[in-house]
Amino acid sequence: MASSLLHPPAHLAPSVALRLSQQAPYLLRTTPSAISPYSISSLWSSAESPELWTTYENLMLSCLRTGDEQSAHTCLERLTERFGAENERLMALRGLFQEAIAKDDDALKKVLKEYENILVKDPANMPVSKRRIALLRSLNRTSEAITALNKFLDASPTDAEAWSELADLYVTNGMFPQAIFALEEVLLVTPNAWNIHARLGEVLYMAASSETGTDKHLPESMRRFCRSIELCDDYLRGYYGLKLTTSKLLTTLSQSQVSRQSKGDTGLPPPDIKDIERLNELATAKLSEIVRRNTSGEAGWEGYEKPEIIAAQELLNRDAAPITR
Amino acid sequence: MAQVPVQTIHRDPQLFYWILIPITVVMILTGVLRHYATVLMATAPKKQELPSIREQRSLLRGINLRGNANAISGPSFQARKDYLVTSYESGAFLKEPDKKGQAAPNPMTDPAAMEGMMGMMKGNMAMMVPQTLIMGWINAFFSGFVIIRLPFPLTIKFKSMLQAGVGTKDMDPQWMSSISWYVLCIFGLQSVFNYLLGSDNAASQVQQQMGQMAPGAGAQMFGPGVDPDKQFQGEAENLAVLAHHYTLEGVEGRLLQTVKV
Repeated sequence: MASSLLHPPAHLAPSVALRLSQQAPYLLRTTPSAISPYSISSLWSSAESPELWTTYENLMLSCLRTGDEQSAHTCLERLTERFGAENERLMALRGLFQEAIAKDDDALKKVLKEYENILVKDPANMPVSKRRIALLRSLNRTSEAITALNKFLDASPTDAEAWSELADLYVTNGMFPQAIFALEEVLLVTPNAWNIHARLGEVLYMAASSETGTDKHLPESMRRFCRSIELCDDYLRGYYGLKLTTSKLLTTLSQSQVSRQSKGDTGLPPPDIKDIERLNELATAKLSEIVRRNTSGEAGWEGYEKPEIIAAQELLNRDAAPITR
Repeated sequence: MAQVPVQTIHRDPQLFYWILIPITVVMILTGVLRHYATVLMATAPKKQELPSIREQRSLLRGINLRGNANAISGPSFQARKDYLVTSYESGAFLKEPDKKGQAAPNPMTDPAAMEGMMGMMKGNMAMMVPQTLIMGWINAFFSGFVIIRLPFPLTIKFKSMLQAGVGTKDMDPQWMSSISWYVLCIFGLQSVFNYLLGSDNAASQVQQQMGQMAPGAGAQMFGPGVDPDKQFQGEAENLAVLAHHYTLEGVEGRLLQTVKV
């Protein structure tokens, strides 16, 4: 349990977050509230470890998720006691707490105002400027959030987190070329992140399906999914995307032979139709294997998320229906 | 064959209690004190201003692009390369764009660099002062005492190490002088400090000396006295000559070969 408190809680399932926050009062009673580095007792008590404070931070986030504001406040107070109110990360955490207890939009706007005041004094405060962008987004002021994020990225262009948030914002606004650019920036920071490769494939696929008539993105999208699978060979989203793109490519390529001659804008020759067919078969086989083994609960195959398995099953059914008919 | 007679020196057993133990205790206590003095004197790392963060991260972006260019497609790479090379050459990312082309400031006059040096000075002082004091104290009170006899035989080469301060030619190297015990303590107390203060303590002199010999590579890159404009120019050149191979080229074939269901 303590180990799950040491990781950023964004990916915790709701049930785990609930369990953690239910244990918060107990944890808060047993963990030391502060370790003074100057006292004599620190000679024989256990040394202060960074894990302690990570625990507090993550516990606070879990508590906020489940609405245990009392415990969250205690965590925040102890962190403040240790690191001081002027700590950048703590300023962001306090803002997060205030956002969480805000009753309506007016209260949120007050928090936003506070963030802006902090940023006027210290424009280099990265955690607070990120919080401000997130708050703008949750207030549905997307275009403002995009502008702020672009300004942030001008100062800090190696922040993969910010680039992927920007990509996400662009996708919600339907600005696919910009989203693709942002995701490519993420890949430049983390070139082996298979989830980002798959995400880029998804965005390319969306771009290909939104612009009618131009399927220049489609081969690129398929290759992104291929790369994603190459990096992680049982990645469900990768196979799902591979199956989608190859099916679509097969229909478009059989309809028009013209696009086969034209080079894509990526500078790569169009993929061989035989390869696409084989990839399609591979994706189908692997998807059904994953679904079958996961639903039967085989060891080593249970890490997939339920909705993704259901979606994969649905995709397979969609494919199977015309054959049986 | 005649046995070499074992050298015996009649010592007052009190020497043991009144030299060996005080030196050890004092060494441990100064180590603990030094640790806390360093903790107290340490200044928080200076906050960076936004323009200098931008300068450093923009350079890192170029380095990232150079290292991971193969992850993105040819045209995307070309566009980024053109943008970064032009901006690097025109100095658009510099902290002070109007100072482009001037020589790097002298690190002695740069206040930001002075700060770092002061920190280093403090660390040095925390090491030098107690060391000098204790050395003087031992020299004044305990010099010339032979305090213990090591329970194992040693060759003659160890004489200069173990019998510092005792100028006797014929004494067996097994005998150890008080100053040598002090020197041995300097190097040998590391594990005691680790136990008392945690593993990242500032008590040990040995560790501090190691730290000075190999400063972090990151500090060198953006350290004082390095001209960022020169770094940008160099990086622009590196980017301009980079050959780009797209990873996605032929990925279908690779995948079909490796993944079998």
